[in-house]
Order: sequence, then structure tokens, then C-alpha cells
Amino acid sequence: MSRHSPFHERTAALCTSYRWKEWAGYHAVCSYDTSVEREYFAFRHAAGLLDASPLIKYDVRGPDAAAYLSRLSVRRIDKLAVGRVVYCCWVDDRGHVIDDGTIARLDEDAYRVTTGEPELWWLEQNRRGYDVSVEETTHRYGVLALQGPSSGAILSAVTGTDLTGLRYFGLTSARLADRDVLVSRTGYTGDLGYEVWVEAEHALPVWDTLMTEGRAYGIVPAGLDALDVTRIEAGYLLLGIDYKSAPRCLIDAQKSSPYEIGLGWMVQLDREPFIGQAALRAEKERGSEWALVGLDVSWTALEALYERHGLPPSLATHAWRTAAPLYDGKRQIGQATSGTWSPTLKRNLALATVRRGYDRVGTRIEIETTVEYRRHTIPATVVDRPFFDPERRRS
Amino acid sequence: MSEKVIVIGGGHNGLTAAATLARHGRSVVLLEKRSGLGGLAAPFEIADGYRVPGLLHDTDRFRPAVARALELHQHGLQWRETPRTELGLSAKGRGVLLSSNREAMAQELQQHSPSDVQPYHRLMTFLDSIRHIVEDLFDSPPPAPAKRELGEAIKMLKKGWAFRRLGAETMIEVLRIAPMCIADWLNEHFESAHLKALLASPALLGTWMGPWSAGSTTTWLLDELTRGRAVAGGPAALVDSLRRCAEAAGVEIRTGCPVRHLQLENGRVRGVELESGETIETASVLATTDAQTTFLELIRPADLGVEFAERIANVRSRGLVAKVHLALSGPLENTTRPGSFERMRTGEHVDDLERAFDAVKYRQISERPILDVWVPSLEDSSLAPKGHHVVSILAQFAPYDLEGGWTDAARVTLGDRVVDTLAEYAPGLKKRIVARQVLSPADLEGELGLTGGHLYHGEHALDQLAFLRPVFDCAHYRTPIEGLIVGGSSCHPGGGLTGVPGWLAAKAL
Ligand SMILES: Cc1cc2nc3c(=O)[nH]c(=O)nc-3n(C[C@H](O)[C@H](O)[C@H](O)COP(=O)(O)OP(=O)(O)OC[C@H]3O[C@@H](n4cnc5c(N)ncnc54)[C@H](O)[C@@H]3O)c2cc1C
Repeated sequence: MSRHSPFHERTAALCTSYRWKEWAGYHAVCSYDTSVEREYFAFRHAAGLLDASPLIKYDVRGPDAAAYLSRLSVRRIDKLAVGRVVYCCWVDDRGHVIDDGTIARLDEDAYRVTTGEPELWWLEQNRRGYDVSVEETTHRYGVLALQGPSSGAILSAVTGTDLTGLRYFGLTSARLADRDVLVSRTGYTGDLGYEVWVEAEHALPVWDTLMTEGRAYGIVPAGLDALDVTRIEAGYLLLGIDYKSAPRCLIDAQKSSPYEIGLGWMVQLDREPFIGQAALRAEKERGSEWALVGLDVSWTALEALYERHGLPPSLATHAWRTAAPLYDGKRQIGQATSGTWSPTLKRNLALATVRRGYDRVGTRIEIETTVEYRRHTIPATVVDRPFFDPERRRS
Repeated sequence: MSEKVIVIGGGHNGLTAAATLARHGRSVVLLEKRSGLGGLAAPFEIADGYRVPGLLHDTDRFRPAVARALELHQHGLQWRETPRTELGLSAKGRGVLLSSNREAMAQELQQHSPSDVQPYHRLMTFLDSIRHIVEDLFDSPPPAPAKRELGEAIKMLKKGWAFRRLGAETMIEVLRIAPMCIADWLNEHFESAHLKALLASPALLGTWMGPWSAGSTTTWLLDELTRGRAVAGGPAALVDSLRRCAEAAGVEIRTGCPVRHLQLENGRVRGVELESGETIETASVLATTDAQTTFLELIRPADLGVEFAERIANVRSRGLVAKVHLALSGPLENTTRPGSFERMRTGEHVDDLERAFDAVKYRQISERPILDVWVPSLEDSSLAPKGHHVVSILAQFAPYDLEGGWTDAARVTLGDRVVDTLAEYAPGLKKRIVARQVLSPADLEGELGLTGGHLYHGEHALDQLAFLRPVFDCAHYRTPIEGLIVGGSSCHPGGGLTGVPGWLAAKAL
């Protein structure tokens, strides 16, 4: 049975659509309204408030925490300053990605790790020889993602602190509704945004204050459907959809290295030994088989296809995640794993995995699509990711 | 190449490896943590003026092939010519006097249980018929079934062929009994309960098994079929001749030199770092510490593959043998038979063994431990003051992970139970005890750096022997770390004072 997030009382009351899903063992709202539009536009034009409490959290503490996390991660963690967060991924001995998430340095010897799937086994297995403790703290904190152009103003107002100075991927403590909270400038929407971390028992007053004070700024509670559209616009991966967690794969072909899922930029090879180092070094020298790319799927071709069937063009109102094959002529060269119509960019976008040689920006390939139960292919072009990247995300 | 090799550990395997390498022209430095050599085979002080010549009792498993290869007779090694005898203690009757001399054994059985004489001869004939197979397995590197090499395939075929040549009947018998429990198998042969208990006992040393545990016949065969003549002067004499041999070959021996870490670079050995802070550069290290110490302590976790480390951590190494040493103001007398006996053993029924084993499943000390008793001062009177004696006892079972931990009180309980059990056959014992020393598995771990206090550096069991020992990817002495060879009891053919792991590892290098 799924658990209730610390904000459940509030989110349940607002969820008039009754559209929920399961997220890491919790009930999570897909969309409060029957349509995703209002929530999506809140993220892009004002501020969306998303209950992200189910995010899996581990607190890692102890004198060896930095060395331990560095050994576990493809990038150095020992250089991470207190009050900073990094995005990171973890691989196995053979360099296959297990999960991705963030690591925040809370204190000299304390870190908080977030993951997509439960990874306590992995953290525990590798603890041998290090003076660290690992504790799952998912249920202990309520997490609210406040994302969108007005998020900074709202948070500054409710905390009485000027948070505009908080750098991208920074972390600070603050007071909100007379409670101690942590605020990190992180998120999954690719926009200006923050995450507020509060102990579960103080969750509701924090929600209430944000909603009340945020009204003037156009705050809107938002669900996972709107988030999914924004994360694709931002070009962010979703574990289990755009790549699979290696230990959960049944065959090797399902596994990926960081280089193959567009995370090669974060791999720091030349340093103290870390898990997967030799395999990743070898792959770097050899070159990777696969690459993750952004696709712009031709709207005019899609329109023409519908036209041929005597239909107006039709698109799902939210993001899709049923993989579609990609072709170069007759040869299948990969698959698109998730995609969406971008209401902001007015483009039909997808994230895809393609064979080596098809990853250069501008490469033209074909994507399978069905209209009236019939299979067709339409052109798509490899484009830069992120698709949507406003200045305010980092500034 | 005559580049320097560092051997870690000055136990008998480390000495054997170092001597073998040096005799092949390598320059060798041996680093031993403790102040003396011999490891588990080193003499042990009980109290002022009282010593035991080694923690272990038997030297009759040391392999003649190793002694020959190292020409140990030129360095003082002598085999003991007298047969090994052991008195099975009995509270009521005359007990059973086991002997490695078959005639003597048959005569004893004629007295004790005449119907067991013929079965005894039959069993010995069967053992003789398969001995060469086990010896050959024992004295050569384990087969490598996963290797795709012609040479390897030929070796396997040869071994298979030798096995096949035993004849269908014997071959099938071996396959039938290997996974059996020793109690069932001995029941097929013998009548005397006491005899069966005495015969079964060695199957349990260094395993997590009682006589009713499946697979105990294999551990029994391994032990029984690799016994030969003992070394005159016991473990101390053996270690001495190994040391002399190593020194004569030019090995530089450094005692009191604990290694802290292996230094690696890109998965290759670059040197060793000592506790003292000193570092020694080398591209080759041969480690005879147990697998878990070698890989999980001497190598920094970051330098090791995760899957490999996990498999090493999963090697079962749960010590369950304790040592109790007694210093006595007079001889150890017994009520079973008149006379002094160097070796004695308790346990009159396999159920006594099983009951003693039951306790460790629940992390308890056996109420009545099974005792393997040695009075070394009968052979070597210098071990104790004149007229006094020392008694070395292997007590089974005492679990490493005792419930409540190994407190002083727990040690006292264990010591009391051992003394109480022995006193049943030796009423005058308690009054003569001058000093008593109790070494739990946890103490053995602390004292000797044995993971889990396990006397064989990892249990002997079907899944932890031969090409699975300690784990398949370092069962042939080479390891995933380039330049690191393993050669202690964690490797094929396993624990015991055999010299083989060190010898084969040196040859692999
Ligand atoms: C109580 C007991 C009874 C036994 N009875 C018998 C018996 O009757 N018959 C029999 O055949 N076998 C018996 N055994 C088993 C046998 O003693 C061992 O299998 C064998 O002696 C192990 O030899 P080894 O050289 O492999 O290891 P060890 O003798 O354990 O040698 C390893 C050496 O490495 C050293 N070392 C550890 N860490 C470091 C470090 N960091 N740096 C440098 N050096 C280090 C240790 O001090 C030790 O000297 C018994 C064992 C015990 C404990």
C-alpha cells in the first residue's frame, strides 16, 4: 500500500481530478486539474508547487563520507563545498549506470544523496572499509519543488531572506513559517527553481504559507504530468524510461554507460580510484556505441500524414514514454524513449538513443509513428539539448 | 627477471613460498607482522616457564612433495617414524586407541569391537585405491573448468582419465559418498559408536558442520587422505627448517613488520606500505594472509572491484574452534587406560559431536565441548619446568560471533566447560592446574589477524574448495590485481599445515 506524503492532507483536498500515481511507494498527484495546461504554464510563467517528498533520500555521515562518495560516483565529491549540490550518476564495475541523482553537502561530514530508485543495498555494499553511516531519510522530510520565474521572489518573501543571491546548485538554511528549512536551488524543470526541505512534522505550515503568500505571484500546485513536459523540454533523463538501471536489467544490451546517456561530461577519470574507472576509461578510448540525443520531430510531416488520412493533426496532451523505433532508411538505428509537444517552444520534441554516428546535431533520421493504427515514419532532426534553456535557470 | 618479490606473512605458507621463489633465483623479502615466524604454527607462551610448540597439533599433513622440492631434509627436517596414536577417552570402558599403524589398529578393534575389523580393512583398501587421485589434486593447482585453453583441457582430461581408471565401482562410490554426511557413511561400515565418533571428528575441524551435515564426508576424505608421517619435533621443528631453507636461499626475513596497505596504481601493484610508514617499492606481492584480510584490509576498498569484493566478503569464515592451554604441576592422568598418552580425544558417540555442534547454530558455546587433547611436554620436556606439563586443547565448538560477545566471563565459561569435560576422565586434573589460557576465535582473530578466527582461513566446504577457493577468479593464485598473487590457506588446497598453497602460488608467479 502506498504511503501518504507529509503534504497529503493539502494535496488530496486540491486534487479534484483524482488523478494519482505511485511514486517510490507514495501517492503522488499526476495533475490537480483534468488538464495539465494550467500547471505547466505555472511552471513556465509564474511558479508551480510540486510535492516532491517521495524523492528517495539517504543521509551519509562520517569522517570518510567524502572519500566514500567520491569512490562511488563518476565525479569527485571530495571537492564539493559545504552548501553545494551536484548532479551525479553512479555506475557498477563495468561502467554501467545504476542511477542518477543529486548529492548535497550539508555539513563537514554530512551529505544527502537523492536517487531515482531505492539504492540502499548499493550504498551499504560499498560501505566496507569506510567510516560512514548511511540512513534512508525519505520519510523524514517533506520536499516541495517551487519552480518557475516567480519562485525566487516567492521564497524570498516567505523566508524574509533575499534568496536571489543563492547560486545555481547552492544550498542554504532558512526560516519559513517559523520552521527551520533547507532551500536548494535545484529542480527538474530546467527553469529558475528551488526545493524546500522541511522535517515532515512541520510540512503543512510550510505548504500553507507558500500557498497563501504565493497567491499574489500566481503560485499553482502542480503535478507530475506538468513536470514531465518541463523535464523533457529541459532535456533531463528519467531513469527507467530514457535509460535503465544496470542491476535491474535482464540482459546486457539494456545497460548504458554515462557516455551513452549524455552524462559523459560529468565523468572525471583521472583521480583516485572509483567504481567503474577502468571500464569507463576503456570506453572513452574506444568510443561509445550509443549516444543520447534530442530530436525535433517534423511537425509539417506529421500534419501531412494526418492529412493523408483525412484527419486534423492530433497529439497527446501530455508527454509520452512508449519507445518508438528510429530509422535510417530501412536500418533501425535507435529509439526515441520519451517525448512531448512543447507548448512553449511549439515544437514536437523527443529524447532518443541512437547508434554512434547519428548523434551529430543536424543529422536527419526517421521516427516511427502510427496514425489510424498504421505504421509510418516521419523525419526528425538531431538538435541541441536542452531544448529550452532560459537565462534565469542559472543566473 | 630477478625483480624483488614481497611475501606477506611468515606462517608456514609464507615461508614455503619465499623459499621456493628464492630457490628459483628471485630476490625475496618476507614481511611478518609478529615478532616470531610460523603464524599459526608458531610456539605460544601460556605462562612464565610454560609454552606450547604451536597452536595446532598435527604436522602429518605437511606434503612430502613440498619437503622434497625444498630439500628440507638438508635444513633439518625429519619425519617421525613412530605411528600416531590417539586415545579415545571413555568414562566407563577402556576407550579406543586409534593408531595410524594398521596392524595395531586391527588388534585394538579385535578387543574393542571384533565385528569392525573386516570393515576397517575394507575401508582402508578403498581409501588406498583413491589416495593417489586426491594426492594429485592436492599437490597441483586446481582444475580450471571455465578456462578455454587446450593445455587446461588436457589437464582436466588427464585427471578425469585417472579418475575413470579407478574402475566403475570405485568411481561411482566416490561420487556417491562425496556429498554425504560422515555419520551416514560411517554407519554403513561400522558398529562401535565410539569408533564412529572418533573417526568422524576430523571431518569437523575447520568446517561449519556437524557429523550429520551434508558434505562432511568430503572434508573427512580430504583430511584423512592427505595425512602421512608427522614431523619430528612438531610444528616448531617444521617452521625452523622452513626458515633455514628460506635463509639459505637468500630470503630477507623481517619480523615485527606489519603491512598496512598494498599500494596500487591503475590496478597494478606498485609497492607496500608498512605500519611503520616505510614503503617498499615492488611490482610483485605474494600474500599469505587470509583472503578477507588480503583483499578487504590490505587493499583499499577503492582499489577493488565491487563484485569481487562482495564475493570475497561472502567467503564463509566463521571460526568455531577455541584453544585452551593448561599448565599442570604434574602429569595428565586419565581413568580410561593406564599410562601417559600424548594425544587424547573426547566424544563417545556421533550424537555427542552433533550436540556440541548444535550450540554454535544458536551462537552458544557447547555445554560439553569435544576436546582434542595434546600433551606436548611428554615429547619435549623443555616446554615446562621439571615434572610439570603443558596441555594443548582444541575445543569444539565455540562460535566467533558468540551471543553477547567474547567477554572475560564468556572466556571463563568456556575454560570451565573444557576443564569440567576433561576432568570427567581425569579426576585429579583441577588440583594440578597452575595456569590456564583461553583463546576464543575472537582472540585468534585479534592475536593472529585471522578473519573470523578461522583456523583454515575460510571454511572447507564443497563450494569453497579447489577452483572455488577462495573465489573462482583467484583460485589459481593470480588475482584481478596485476602483480598480486595469493598463497595462504585461503587458496587451494586449503588450510592445514601442508605447505601446498604457498608452494603452488610461488610456482604460479
Ligand atoms: C587452533 C588451530 C589448530 C589447528 N590445527 C591444525 C592441525 O592440527 N593440523 C593442521 O594441519 N592444521 C591445523 N590448523 C590449521 C593450520 O594451522 C593453518 O591452516 C596453517 O598453519 C596456516 O598457515 P598459513 O601460512 O597459510 O597462515 P598463517 O599461519 O596464519 O600465517 C599468516 C601470517 O601472516 C601474518 N600476518 C597477518 N597480517 C599481516 C600483515 N598485515 N603484515 C604482515 N604479516 C601479517 C600473521 O602474523 C601470520 O604469521 C590449526 C589452526 C588453528 C588456529
